[in-house]
Amino acid sequence: MSDDISISKGIIEQLVDGKIDDDNLERLLKLPKKDSGRFFKYIEVLQDKVSWKDKILLRLSDKLYIVSKGPGIRITKCECGYEFGDYRSNWKLNSKIRVRKTAEEMKAVYDPTPAVPEAGWQEIREYFCPSCATQHAVEVVPPGYPIVMEMLPDLDKFYNEYLGKPLSDASSDWYQDKTSDTTSSWK
Amino acid sequence: MATIEKEVLNQPNMTAITAPTLAEAVEKRDRLTKATGHYYGVEELSLKEADPIRYERFYSKLHSAVLAARESARYVAASPGSREMGECLWGVTTAEGDTLAVSLGFLSHTAIFPVAIRYMAANNYDVNDGIEDGDVYGVSDGLTGGVPHPADFYSFVPIVVEGEVVAWAVGINHLMENGAPVAGSWATFSVDTFMDGLVVPPMRTGRKLKQESWWKAIWERRTRAATMNILDDKMRLAGCAMIHEATHKLIAEFGIDYYKQAIREVIEESRRRVVDNMKSTMVPGTYTGAAFRMAQYKGLQTIWSHADKNTLIHIRASVEPNEDGLKIDTEGTSRWGHHAYNATPGASDAAVFLGMINSFSHNTKVTAGIELAVQRNYPKGSILNPDSEFTSNANPWAQTVTLNNIGFGAVSRAMFSFGYLEEAFCIDGNWGAWQGQGTAEDGTGYGFTNFEWLGGSSRGAWCFKDGEPLVWAAWSQMATIGDAEEFESTVPPMFYLGRKLLPGYFGAGKYRGGPGQSAVHWCVEPGKHIGITRPNGGLSTTASVALGMNGAYPGPSSFMISARGTNLDEVNAKGLAPRDARELLEMTDSGLLKVDDLKVWKTDCPELSMGHNDLFVDAAGSSGGWGDPLERDPSAVIADLNSGTCPDYDFVNEMHGVVAAQDERGSWSLDVAATEIKRAALRQARLDDSVDVKDWWEEEREIVKNAAFFPEVGLMYNESLSFDKFRNEFTSFWNLPREFNVLEG
Repeated sequence: MSDDISISKGIIEQLVDGKIDDDNLERLLKLPKKDSGRFFKYIEVLQDKVSWKDKILLRLSDKLYIVSKGPGIRITKCECGYEFGDYRSNWKLNSKIRVRKTAEEMKAVYDPTPAVPEAGWQEIREYFCPSCATQHAVEVVPPGYPIVMEMLPDLDKFYNEYLGKPLSDASSDWYQDKTSDTTSSWK
Repeated sequence: MATIEKEVLNQPNMTAITAPTLAEAVEKRDRLTKATGHYYGVEELSLKEADPIRYERFYSKLHSAVLAARESARYVAASPGSREMGECLWGVTTAEGDTLAVSLGFLSHTAIFPVAIRYMAANNYDVNDGIEDGDVYGVSDGLTGGVPHPADFYSFVPIVVEGEVVAWAVGINHLMENGAPVAGSWATFSVDTFMDGLVVPPMRTGRKLKQESWWKAIWERRTRAATMNILDDKMRLAGCAMIHEATHKLIAEFGIDYYKQAIREVIEESRRRVVDNMKSTMVPGTYTGAAFRMAQYKGLQTIWSHADKNTLIHIRASVEPNEDGLKIDTEGTSRWGHHAYNATPGASDAAVFLGMINSFSHNTKVTAGIELAVQRNYPKGSILNPDSEFTSNANPWAQTVTLNNIGFGAVSRAMFSFGYLEEAFCIDGNWGAWQGQGTAEDGTGYGFTNFEWLGGSSRGAWCFKDGEPLVWAAWSQMATIGDAEEFESTVPPMFYLGRKLLPGYFGAGKYRGGPGQSAVHWCVEPGKHIGITRPNGGLSTTASVALGMNGAYPGPSSFMISARGTNLDEVNAKGLAPRDARELLEMTDSGLLKVDDLKVWKTDCPELSMGHNDLFVDAAGSSGGWGDPLERDPSAVIADLNSGTCPDYDFVNEMHGVVAAQDERGSWSLDVAATEIKRAALRQARLDDSVDVKDWWEEEREIVKNAAFFPEVGLMYNESLSFDKFRNEFTSFWNLPREFNVLEG
């Protein structure tokens, strides 16, 4: 398809707010090729919604963002403003965790009873923002499983090569998982 | 080639034509592709550019032929799974096995077609004793044919022009019954390949589009559903014959030179489009996921001691977009074992390509082009690529379905971050079926599979609205659970007392997953015997996948209940009957339904003998949510209470913080102010009941160091630790020496 179409900020806002109607949804799904201008309009919609001014670089999750705090500082930030630190280290490590280990505790999550994961083989880990208590993530894993880093974006590849708008503090140092820097500083 | 020389000798005016061997053809294809990075070295789409109308006409004739093959052939009185549901597929491939076009149906098998053909090439099938036009080959072996499990049976028909194989017509379907000791089509107990039923490496079974007489005897003597299987065999061949004829006509119309160039361009064209789709929709980076599946074999038997153990299977994968498309790396996944759940690279591909084809081949020709764009690493020795030739592959879907969930889920996250929210939803592939064998009163034996919840399951929540029930089957465009009457007619003593959505059975979130399904199967006068097992993709000892989406809970897995020795006649006399798992449990709890032997199965059950008025209940097809459950629109919760989708007020009161009251007619209505207070209290409880991850880590690290969990959990870790990538991740996370191993026992 040679012509790039344009999707309005209004439609993107409807998607973000969960208010899109079925007809518009179907039109979006049936686009032969996605609109190339989506990302920056998406970021604009998101930036309008948050109460803080830090520039959003990427949306990681419903209420989690990677933002720039200035050149050389890129952090994971909650919609409420809580800052989880350098995005290269798994934000979960700076959250609060509640673990459901017993059958009774897990029954509050799944229904009917036979659908509940089996205690001892699995536990349910809930990760909360220490400030607003938003549940940002859930893991259902065996005890002892290392916390999963769900997504480590290559921001500079994205901005340079995909979007053609390099970030001012671009560097090859950014795309690395630094979670072990955090855990190695623990006991 | 032996056959060419025979022909030439009989026609003195012809000069000898030397066609390449199949092995040479494969080598050339690989060499050109590797050297250039383009399929078959095709850098210019010259035919397409010179005359795009002719090019598209060429392809549409090929494509229509395979579409028509399915739509006609499946009515060759085939089994319900094939006729009614999407458990079949037809395709046409190049001589080297690369897919050119496929029909509707179980789409990801396209990635596996090359395996059998390359095996035949490498083993000189065309040299000894020759591959001729219209031959019929069959295959059901994972190692040599790539099939996910032996009940997926493939028929190949070569299209030969002037002594050279130029294409293959392929037909596949999932058989009714494939002759393993544990009856059905995915044996749930199996120690190795020798217990997997009819497992055949590529073998010629017919010539000139006709099966040889002896082939029928194989179905009759080695499977329990010969009639259905023979009809399915005819079905596959009928479709292949249609494709064979259409391809010959196409070559006659366009010329062999045009054909040979066009087929390569078609694949290169779609490869480029797939790569472009990936680059224009996925934020680059590393996406990691995991899933778990129990195999509970301990205590089942005393014959094979090496299989007398429980195994917690760990599937781990990372997805990383790159210049050529994307890479899926499964290093860290469990090793293979003496159980039914091992895969092969072919079986693993069958899972991976579900999500990939769905996500990236939608606006182009569905061809092998996508296989060049998706690079896969299945480390040797893992359950996805065993370093044993004899592993059982009876039901790899029990665990590989999670590989699709992880890969497809990564695509969803990547598109969400990019802004293409319309494409972002919770991927789940929780499936269930039931199967078995019986002997009627007159001594007639039979075997069967009821595909049921394999044909349709719920779709997980979107990032902007709830998921829907029954609309989704990750492996097929056609979500259909088939007609109850069809299955009742093929399994003589089993009838449906209920077949419905199961309230409450989904992962909660801001948006919930679509609810799964449950059926009550009633055994009536089974004759001499009937035994049932239940194959599944995921059983409820573990959740369907490890990671929920953005604060929601992943979907619960499937389970079943056997209720044997019942007073069902008395219950029926009151005009009552349980219609789903919930109702069965409520009736037994209340004492209305008396059951001598009631068992809830959160792992695979052994083959269960069923008697008159025994009940077999299943639940599958649920899915996960999206977003924080405390963010759910309270009016959506009220709607769910009133529709019965959420049957338990106490549950939603705690999960979503919704306070509501029920009037005398049973209708719920929202208490807005009380809901606000409740939600605030639940948020506070989250903070009060949780700890800093650092504190949790310090305590949990002691559990890891002392292996203070089930021995099978420790064994699972050690198997995964035997792979460097997981060892690095595990030991660096827990701040342990790199050579650390979890204590066993």
